[in-house]
Amino acid sequence: MSDADAHRELVENPFFVLGVEPGAARAVVEREGQKLLSMLEVGLSQAKTYATPLGTRVRTPELVRWALAELRQPERRLVHELWAATPVAASGDPVLDEKDACEAGWPEARVAYGWEPR
Amino acid sequence: MSESGAWVGIDLGTTNSACAVFDGERVQLVRNAQGGGLTPSVVRIDARGNVTVGARARRFLDGDPANTRAEFKRLMGTAQAIDFPAAKVSKRPEELAAEVLRSLREDVREQLGFLPERAVISVPALFELPQSAATSEAARLAGFERVELIQEPVASAIAAGWSAAESRGYWLVYDLGGGTFDASLLETQEGLLRVVGHDGDNFLGGRDFDWAVVDWAIAEFGKSGAKIDRANPAHGKVVRALKHAAEEAKIELARAGEAAIVLPGLDVDGEAVDVDLSLTRAQLEALCLPLVERSLAVCQRLLAAHGVGEGALERVVLVGGPTVMPLVRREVAARLRAPLGEGLDPMTLVAEGASIYAATAGLDARPRTAALAAAATRRLWIQHSAMSSDLTPHVVGRLLPGGSGPEPVTVRLTRADGLWASEPAALDTNSEGGFVIMVELIARRPNVFRVEAAAVDGTPVPVEPSTITIVQGLTVSDPPLSRTIGVALANDQVRVYFERGAPLPARRTFLHHTVESVAKGSAECALKIPIVQGELPEAHLCRLVGALTVRGDLVRESLPAGAPIELTIELDRGGRLSARALVPATGQVFEEVATLFVPEATPEVLAASREALAQRLSSLRSDAFRRGDRAAVDRLGGLERQLAEAARDAEAARGGDADAAQKARRALLEIDALLEEVERDKSWPELEQRARERMAAAASWVAEYGSPEEQRILAETAQAIERARATKDAVEIERQLRVVMNLANACYYRDPEAWARSFEHAAADAASATDQVRAHDLVKRGRAAIARNDRRELREVVEALWRLLPVDPAARRRGHDSGVR
Repeated sequence: MSDADAHRELVENPFFVLGVEPGAARAVVEREGQKLLSMLEVGLSQAKTYATPLGTRVRTPELVRWALAELRQPERRLVHELWAATPVAASGDPVLDEKDACEAGWPEARVAYGWEPR
Repeated sequence: MSESGAWVGIDLGTTNSACAVFDGERVQLVRNAQGGGLTPSVVRIDARGNVTVGARARRFLDGDPANTRAEFKRLMGTAQAIDFPAAKVSKRPEELAAEVLRSLREDVREQLGFLPERAVISVPALFELPQSAATSEAARLAGFERVELIQEPVASAIAAGWSAAESRGYWLVYDLGGGTFDASLLETQEGLLRVVGHDGDNFLGGRDFDWAVVDWAIAEFGKSGAKIDRANPAHGKVVRALKHAAEEAKIELARAGEAAIVLPGLDVDGEAVDVDLSLTRAQLEALCLPLVERSLAVCQRLLAAHGVGEGALERVVLVGGPTVMPLVRREVAARLRAPLGEGLDPMTLVAEGASIYAATAGLDARPRTAALAAAATRRLWIQHSAMSSDLTPHVVGRLLPGGSGPEPVTVRLTRADGLWASEPAALDTNSEGGFVIMVELIARRPNVFRVEAAAVDGTPVPVEPSTITIVQGLTVSDPPLSRTIGVALANDQVRVYFERGAPLPARRTFLHHTVESVAKGSAECALKIPIVQGELPEAHLCRLVGALTVRGDLVRESLPAGAPIELTIELDRGGRLSARALVPATGQVFEEVATLFVPEATPEVLAASREALAQRLSSLRSDAFRRGDRAAVDRLGGLERQLAEAARDAEAARGGDADAAQKARRALLEIDALLEEVERDKSWPELEQRARERMAAAASWVAEYGSPEEQRILAETAQAIERARATKDAVEIERQLRVVMNLANACYYRDPEAWARSFEHAAADAASATDQVRAHDLVKRGRAAIARNDRRELREVVEALWRLLPVDPAARRRGHDSGVR
């Protein structure tokens, strides 16, 4: 797995995208996903970003749909549960792009995940 | 019809079409003028230009075939013109499909009193993009304001799921239509219906059963000395008569043990001859068994691909007219070891499911009432799932600007039965005017809610919409993409945008670079960005389904080779494609995706392709014999049979059968891809050697510069390669080698000297760059960066130089003449 792939596993983790706990019931995941899709459709700003351990990211309808599809597959959900089992940074962080996301939000993340030497 | 809504679903079939309307509780089949639920997909245009559709047109199919056309669905998306000599007009397949849709729209008006404006139309799961686009175009021509497409098996599953009691587990939808076969694996759990995967054969259908009988009849008839040739245009009428008789015999044999094929006085080469044959059910089943087995092999492949073992299916839902054949029902139940869904009509299930899906997509077919533009009305934008398995879903909305009268500050939803109402939700104060309300639904019913807004002093404020409807039932997961979509690159590789199975709708953007310059003002100078569909990594083995062109006469500024182009591809829920290319340097956008047709399949082209494949096959076969590779010999034997079948279709194409030509084209393309696989297997020793070399290089770089995580992944990849070697899985080894390459690259470029080494390699080839001036400048910049030890700058220089290096012209030709990398 390349750095970029691992980075994506974290910042695009479906649980972070949907803003639900890794242990959330399937019905809760679906309900939150549909709510977010509706909120994004009407353009409510509170749905436009989400928190990750690497900072705040931009949420899009495509990402929400992808997250729902991922969590509907039991084996994929398990993988994402493992990745999501980490504290999430407080919301309200600045929105980061791909390049600087690794250098802010949670600077120790890359070391903690073993992608950089301690 | 219910006040809450009317949702229309249409099964636009190869042989018959059907239409259903859902009112939120029940599905009703729409009857045509003859009182039938099925409308034959047949169109006739007479000498006066009068158009007749359905059963009335079908009566003329034998007597006046030149002006009466059927089975045009199989030609959707092709450029094939269909002639009506009496009226001296030619029609495209989608124009004929539009006639059928128009007729179904009228039937709805007769039955329900309104002309539907929106609908869901079903298409086979494996329809290619041009075929889907043609279906949408047919709907537009028929006067629909908006349609969504749904894959046929998903529609069947929705209909079966709606009528079933609580159900959990895997289902298989076995959909054998007149011209196509689809198998879909679905899963239901807690009211969520999920499409796990699809497989199918775009050119296997009940019609092939009829042709098997025709071929048998021709062979039997030939024993008497007279020869009927499917490839001879002069025998077209006789062949059509035989096919019609074969179809009738097949239907009769669903009940009887024996059926007669009697055709007196057929004109064969100027001689009147009588056909009098007897066909038993056992004979029919023997003729059709290979076709049924072909469909079952598709099902088994689908189940294996998703790890669903034998006997794990909860049920099989049969769809399509040919599934009434006892042989099909018996073999499917026995081979898939699953009970067949009972009480479902295989002929109308697709239309029923499409109508329920229209409700989930919020496509109410009723004409919109004139806007309530009363002076004192405020407008709300409300979003919610039109159908949901959730008993407490959310309704989201916001106040739109405009309108007059008092400004609302709260919104409340009250269920029409008066037994539930939400708390008033305050419209948020950050000027967006948004609200989110959780509602309570009554199970398995349409739930109508009144939208009640109030001003700050509690006075009611009239709002539009004043009601919304949510049907409690199924939640249908987003339909999955049936084939991978990507962009063909100039090196004949594919940049994948959407993997097969990706949920629709979807949108993705990637950055590409031009491989040659585009001179401003030159109409001849055009850069092609081909969009392809298929599972193989080589672009030439994928189907070209669309293309964007950046034309020299349209660019604002000349584009140098290596210029960045940001390409966005978007697919809607029905799989319709749109794309836009942005040239960041000028901000110019190109959006016109060329409408591609499924390639024409002239008899000459088919013959040449068949000949080339036959030679390749023969050479591979001799080689496999020499090497004593039994597995390859067997595999090639199978391909030889497929090639013979394709040759028969190609011959029929000479007789003017455009559908057989398309079938042959598809078969030849698939044989080409399979031969490529055999060729890859043949180079197995080279692949093993390459795997060893790559692993050795990667191990050294990862050991030196890799993180513990990367070292662990490399070790796992090595094990995966070993497993793939044991099963001789070349495709899996290639996939794992891509992981190895990524890891090795990531680590290699952590070496402080890595970019300097890459620079020297690229600089050595700079003389062949597509833009010499720029390449020379880059080399100078690179040398300076090395002197300053500026690795970031050096990396930029190297990447820019790579983009200027020429591509192999032969690879580019194979890659559909792509102008990007």
